[in-house]
Parts: sequence; C-alpha cells; structure tokens
Amino acid sequence: MIQRKLTLVMENKPGALARVVGLFHQRGYNIDSLHVDPIEDFEPFRFIEDELGIKFQVGEVSRLTIRTTVGDKLMRQILRQINKLIDVIAVSDDESTYLKGILRNENLL
Amino acid sequence: MKIAGNDILIQSLINEGVEYIFGYPGGAALHIYDAIFNQKDMQHILVRHEQGATHAADGYARATGKPGVVLVTSGPGATNAITGIATAFMDSIPMVVISGQVQSHLIGTDAFQETDMIGVSRPIVKHSFTVDKQENIAQIVKEAFHVATSGRQGPVVIDVPKDLTNPDELFDFNYPEKANIRSYNPPVKPENHQVSRAVDAILTAERPVIYAGGGTISSNASDELRELNELLDFPVTNTLMGLGVYPGTGKRFLGMLGMHGTYQANMAMHNADLIIAVGARFDDRITNTPEKFAPKAKVIHFDVDHSSVSKIIEADIAVFGQVKDSLKAINNYLSSRKDEINREKLSPWHQQIKEWKEKHGLNHELYKNDSDEYPILPQAAVQHIYQESEGKAFVTSDVGQHQMFAAQYYHFDEPRKWINSGGLGTMGFGLPSAMGVKLAYPEEEVICITGEGSIQMCIQELSTCSQYKLPIKIFNINNLALGMVKQWQDMNYDGRHSSISYEDSLPDFVGLAESYGHVGIKITKNSELKEGIAKALAIKDKLVFVDIYVDPNEHVYPMLVAPNGSLKDMWLGKGEKT
Ligand SMILES: Cc1ncc(C[n+]2csc(CCOP(=O)(O)OP(=O)(O)O)c2C)c(N)n1
Ligand SMILES: [Mg+2]
Repeated sequence: MIQRKLTLVMENKPGALARVVGLFHQRGYNIDSLHVDPIEDFEPFRFIEDELGIKFQVGEVSRLTIRTTVGDKLMRQILRQINKLIDVIAVSDDESTYLKGILRNENLL
Repeated sequence: MKIAGNDILIQSLINEGVEYIFGYPGGAALHIYDAIFNQKDMQHILVRHEQGATHAADGYARATGKPGVVLVTSGPGATNAITGIATAFMDSIPMVVISGQVQSHLIGTDAFQETDMIGVSRPIVKHSFTVDKQENIAQIVKEAFHVATSGRQGPVVIDVPKDLTNPDELFDFNYPEKANIRSYNPPVKPENHQVSRAVDAILTAERPVIYAGGGTISSNASDELRELNELLDFPVTNTLMGLGVYPGTGKRFLGMLGMHGTYQANMAMHNADLIIAVGARFDDRITNTPEKFAPKAKVIHFDVDHSSVSKIIEADIAVFGQVKDSLKAINNYLSSRKDEINREKLSPWHQQIKEWKEKHGLNHELYKNDSDEYPILPQAAVQHIYQESEGKAFVTSDVGQHQMFAAQYYHFDEPRKWINSGGLGTMGFGLPSAMGVKLAYPEEEVICITGEGSIQMCIQELSTCSQYKLPIKIFNINNLALGMVKQWQDMNYDGRHSSISYEDSLPDFVGLAESYGHVGIKITKNSELKEGIAKALAIKDKLVFVDIYVDPNEHVYPMLVAPNGSLKDMWLGKGEKT
C-alpha cells in the first residue's frame, strides 16, 4: 500500500464535499489529508470545458485534493465510486482520469 | 401564470406523469398537502406509517418501471422513511422522496421536528437536493426524476423547507423540458471493441452460463436476453433479483443461484468456463467465498455502473452501458457471425446439467401429498399458490424462509412480477409493496407471500388496504417462529433457539384481518390446502388473509456452506452435504 493523491473537479454546491468525504467513510477507506479551494484559474481545465461543451463561471467549481493510503484494486474502486457522485465533474489519480464517466489512461488533472 | 411554491411542487410532479403519491402529513408538509387537496390529476395514498409509503412506492416502481413517489413530513416522518429508502437503494429502484423540512431560518437550531434529512439519508440515496428558492423547485424536480430513472437507477431525496412552499408568495411556473446536469452523464451504449471481445469469448465457450440479475430488469432487457439465448442456447441462471427476466419454465433455465440456489445452478457456475454476468453484481450471497468462485471461468460483465465491475470478481471483459443497449449490440454482432455458433459443442454441458438436476434438483411434486398425517410443508404451500394462480400473479414477499421457498417454487415467466427486497432484506416489505403493485395493476392478481414475523412489521397497512379497497391476497406461511434465524441456529449454534419465537402471543390473524373488514382463512391441514388457496383467489373484491400453519421444523435447502465454501459446497438436507 502506498499513499496516493486524488484530484477532483466538482460543482461548488452545498453537500457536495460531504458526499465525497462520506463516501470514504461509508466504503471503509481512510483519508490522510484533504484540501479544497474554489477554482479561479480555469486555464488548466479548459479541456474539460471543451470536452463537455460547457463554460465554467467563477465560484462554480472547486478543486479537491485527497491523499489516501490504499492498494491498487481499492484505488480503482475509489475512483469509480467518486466518479459516480453526481456533483463530481472529473477525478484522477496518478494514472487515470474519469471525466464524467469516460475513462482516460492518464492523469489529466 | 403565477403560482406558489407548494403548487409548483405538485404541478411539477403532475408534469412528470405521477399517478400516485404515497405519504403521510405533518407540520412541515402542510402547505404541500394543501396543494394536493386542490388538484385531481394525482392521487395521494395515505399509509399508516412512512415505511409503508416508501415500500408501496417501491413496489409500484418495481412492477411498472416508473419511479415511485413519496411525501413525508420533517423529523420523524423523514426518519421513518429511511428503511424504505435504503431498501430501494440496495436494489437500484427509481424513487423520489419529498421530505418536508423546518423553515429555512430555523435550520440548524434544533427546531421542533428538525432532522438533517439530507445528512441522514446521504449514504442510501443516489443523490439528494435541498430546495433553496421557489424559482428552482421545478428544475430540481426535473433533475430528481432524471437522476432517479437514468443510469443505475435509485432513490433521490428532495428536502423542502416549509417557507418555500408558502401559498402566499407567487412565482412563474414553466416546467422544464430537459434536465441539464453537466456533471452527470451515465453510460448508455457500449463501445464496439468491448462488444467484439465479448462475442469472441462467447463463440469459443464450451461450458457457458448466463447469469442475469436485477439490472437486466431495470433496463427492460428481458426480450434482448431471451433473444441472446435463442441464438446461443446457453444455460441461464437468475439471481433473486433477476427472477422472471428469463422464463422460470424455460428450457434452459437452471433456477436461481447462490445461497439458496438450485444444485444445478450453483454447480454450473462453479464449473463454467465462461460466465456472462448481465446486470448482476456478484453479491456475497452469490459468490460464497470470492477466492473460490468459479475457478475456471472467464467473466464477461455487462453493467451500467463502472464501480460494480471488478468490484468483487475480476471481469475479463467489461461491457459498460445500459444492459439493453449492450445486449442489442451483442445480438446484432452475433447474428452477423451466426455461422460460427456451434450449438453441438454444448451438448456434453447440457447433459452434465441435466444429470445434476436429476440428482439433486428441487422436488416440484411436493404439493401432491395431501395426507393429514404430516404437517403442511411450506414448499407445498407455495406450489399450490403457484398452481392455483396459474403462475401469472405478481408476487411480493418479505424476508426469511418463506421468501426463499417462494423464489424456489413460484416460477416467474415474466420480469417485474417477483417483487422482493433482495439487497437489504427488509422484513415488512411484502404488504406495503403489494399495495403499490395493486394500485398500478388493479386487474391483476397480486399475492403477498409472507411470514408471521415479517407481516407484523408493517401490519398496520391492512388498514390502508381497507381504505383504498385493495384486494390483495396475503399468504402467511406461519411456522410460529423467525424461521430463517432458527435455521441458522439449528445449523450453526447447535439448535440453541435464542429469541426466535413468540410463545403464545401471536395474534389470531383471521380475526385481525376481519377486524379491518377483510376476509380471513385459516389452513392447518394438507387436505385443506388446495381448496383454501383456491377459495382465497376466487374472492375478487376483498383482501384475503390466508394463515397457513406449516411444519415449524423445515429448513431451506440447498444452502451454501459458509464460511470458506465455494459454490459447489452446499447443504442439501439436514446433515447432508455435497
Ligand atoms: C427488519 C429486519 N429485521 C431483522 C431481519 C433478520 N431476519 C431475517 S429473516 C428473519 C426471520 C423472519 O421470520 P418470518 O417472517 O416469520 O419468516 P420465516 O423465516 O419464518 O419464513 C429475520 C429476523 C431482517 N431481515 N429484517
Ligand atoms: Mg416465520
């Protein structure tokens, strides 16, 4: 087991953060650290806008970083479970990214 | 036209085509109830407990495929709904639950009847919404129905602070045509390379099994599954949730698999070289010890939910998408390679399955014994119910031995006819869910096969049945005990029967039913069984409660050996193991 970093882009809506944090507890995963900020510089996330045909407005989306210590198989489960949360737009670990249900084999975030 | 928040909410539901809303009023929901009073397009069904409302909505949803809708008040109304929401969540049933909430300015002050419903329900909903202003109500309802009914379906909660349904403040109302949730995009169609890999594996299999679950029913993919089977002639097993998706009397049907699955279904899975999992999730009641599960099998997994695939059993080939679309794609592609399908290759496998079935298959002739020397067997009771209803009824059930006997001995030839709480295993589900089914299909036979333990968990709904004249047929498989628990105590605790009986305190169910204005019938002897059941089914305009006293010592077999067993390790009778 090694420590991994997950990055999420999600809607800045009430309850959204609680759903992500709750999921870790519910599924028996542990959070080593967590950091959340509103996204102000959209430049690194333009590909999401292009891909989904949307335009982010200031204050609408947050970036969340979570560190957790788990094995490979569980990591894949965590990514898939987070991808399922309705307010999550994208989630990645070191090797892959879920962009609204579509899996890419690289870390795009 | 300008209308108030309470009317916006109700008109939005009507726009969604809601026929019935199951609920129970209270302070925080009173404005909403006033809006219900003022319309005629949707009927409110007043239950006797909010758990009953959620199960009734759930039964309606399972039988029709349309979302069930529930309305409860804040605090205790909301918390009473939790068991039913969890039940729907575990079985991926579309449901929209509207909960009243205290006024916005009181939230967080421990106000009277304040419960953080969003927080309490979070782990058991697909998603939830808090109404923040009246102008957003219509959009929220649209989105809630979209989320509940798309992708992997599930329950959605909408929490509505009372002030936002205030009848004195008016707003424009336009029901949106589309839900636009930019962060939600469930898969629909599979990718071609997944389909072609799956077909390659299918064409080379020698000992294949199709293992179809509830997701196949949710996706309305029964026809596609049957078509696939017509092309391939593969054996098919169904999970408890999948019964009916392939005909129970079908030629290639193995019966249910898993904990109380048939010998041939579990043996076929264990020995398979290819398992085609269709809308099924390899739950622990199916796999037994995952490390020992189907050691020789390649697994193809069809599912709409990425997180279900390779969660417990690693899939060799994953086909993501609505099961219906995926099966269509497979069938099309298979048809184009029809000359490569070699049915003859399967005959040793079919022969092997036939031998298993002959050796230890279920005995479907038990009902023929009508000697009063012996107590009624619960299996025989179910067989008679099956015979007398000609296998055509909707059957709801509760949880316990009676549920397993119903699943084993009532053969469902169509999907959505078997209505039971598979994932959560909720006692109390049977009667209220039957109400939802009966409201949806008033002309159809609706049967509830229950136990004297389970029925008492929502028995208050007998009153609802009398108010709305719901002529459900309840068959109480009365073994005077929490039979399934007793069975485990017999098998694992040397017969120490800790807290599984009610001494002599069971009600007189016949008298109880009659006190609500229903008909009661008591059956205690084999010679009364067929006639009693037929008599109950012949009464068309009344609810009939049939209390059937069965052998209290009967166990459900087969039963997987656990812990550490595989699918080939089964108890076949008392003291008899594979
Ligand atoms: C709400 C709830 N509480 C407890 C259980 C555990 N449980 C499973 S089966 C069972 C016994 C059910 O008794 P009964 O309804 O009489 O059915 P039988 O097994 O006797 O046919 C119990 C207590 C459950 N499934 N649901
Ligand atoms: Mg019982």
